[in-house]
Amino acid sequence: MEYEFHWNIVFQKMPELLNGAFVTLHVSVLAMLLGIVIAILLAIAKMNNSKPFCYVATVWVEIARNTPALFQIYMAYFGLGAFGIHLSPYVAVLSALVFINAGYLTETFRGGFQSIPSTQYSASKSLGMTSFQVYRYIILPQMLRRIYHPMTNQFVWSILMSSLGILVGMSELSGTTQRLQSLSFRTLEFFIVAAVMYFIITKLVLISSSLLSRRLFKGEI
Amino acid sequence: MIKKLAAVALACVTFSSVNASADQLDTVIQRGTLNCGVVLDFPPMGYFDENNEPAGFDVDYCNDLAEVLGVDVNVLNLTWGDRIPSLIAGKTDVVIGSTSDTLERAKSVGFTYPYFVFKFQVIAGKDKNIQSFDDLENLKVGAALGTTYETEYLAYAEKKGWGKDNYTSFKSENDAYLGLYQGKVDAIISTNTNIATKLRSKEFADFAAGPFVPKYDDVVGLIAKRSETAWINYLNLFLVRQIRDGNLDAAYNKHFGSDAPADLIQSLRDNK
Repeated sequence: MEYEFHWNIVFQKMPELLNGAFVTLHVSVLAMLLGIVIAILLAIAKMNNSKPFCYVATVWVEIARNTPALFQIYMAYFGLGAFGIHLSPYVAVLSALVFINAGYLTETFRGGFQSIPSTQYSASKSLGMTSFQVYRYIILPQMLRRIYHPMTNQFVWSILMSSLGILVGMSELSGTTQRLQSLSFRTLEFFIVAAVMYFIITKLVLISSSLLSRRLFKGEI
Repeated sequence: MIKKLAAVALACVTFSSVNASADQLDTVIQRGTLNCGVVLDFPPMGYFDENNEPAGFDVDYCNDLAEVLGVDVNVLNLTWGDRIPSLIAGKTDVVIGSTSDTLERAKSVGFTYPYFVFKFQVIAGKDKNIQSFDDLENLKVGAALGTTYETEYLAYAEKKGWGKDNYTSFKSENDAYLGLYQGKVDAIISTNTNIATKLRSKEFADFAAGPFVPKYDDVVGLIAKRSETAWINYLNLFLVRQIRDGNLDAAYNKHFGSDAPADLIQSLRDNK
């Protein structure tokens, strides 16, 4: 290969790259937390057959799961802009990620709930437990265990999806990398370092989630 | 499996070493096709015409170059950020894409003589009434990500202590104009030529060209692989001949409606 690597420019720009990585982590953690809250509400709405709520939840899930994240981010930024609603790049990316996370997690949660046989509920009731106790001690722990790994996957995916922030000029890790590369034209160096950073971030998330799961489920997974 | 992989890897190494010793000029002539990279998001230098065909000043230069080389032309549509990766990956032989000739970039890529000189300019709503560049202080300003005018604006803003809060970066030139049109920003920085083109469309009737970015001429060259000196020599001669043979005037007339101004030709000659 003819390409000569110049690594020192990447080290000079390391503070900017780290700052970009921080924004990436920041937006995906926030998108995950908000996504979980909304997904719980949507899952309840979907299971609870009250027509208008169920309808809203279904539309949300269908759109979030069946259209590309790229369009959702673009629509949040330029689509809403056409109606005079101006989100900052950060808010546009955040809301698109929340929208997608909530859409996917709703189905995960619903699947988790429905995977617990309803006979467990009746059996526990017949032992004299209250409804609350049944959920607290029997249903929720099993459900959490079943949806834990899909949730972790969603988190990792949300970190990687945040790189689409580049579409709307957000200065997350990809946007920062792109800007630095077009100033210096050292494409491979910046892209390699950014890829390594993404790898480290997602690996850290996976490691910490598996440590957490050991504590939560005491090795039962 | 491993043997197969090793064979493929060996073939790649052999192939690339043969390729590396061949001169790009010979490669293009033998191939019979010039792969010419152009940014088609930057009228009137590069754009898609009403038949969705690549057109513009840069595309004309690709055609002229292919003609003198006696080969066919294959125009590749690039974004600003794709210009250098396309050269490194061998997708393009040359990029005619208004590439500002910064010394930082010249560490990575080979520049020819300049072939055009832009002015960086402000475009904003008429109601903003921008008289001087310093009027941008309290306005929301945007530009396309990774362009030299983004760098120049940010350097100026930093020098004046304006901060980055009012600044928005857009992925591409088109997105920057869309953002301006939608009112996401009050003003954007672009090139005088692109602004003049946009102001002729009815969407931008309420907008006006503002002041130039102070003390900056954007001198742009063709780019090729840094190691291909013979090829760059050829391209340099091509650019000089474009002036002498009248092709610069022809392209200028077609896209800007006049002969190339004397000061542009002079500065191209001076910079050479």
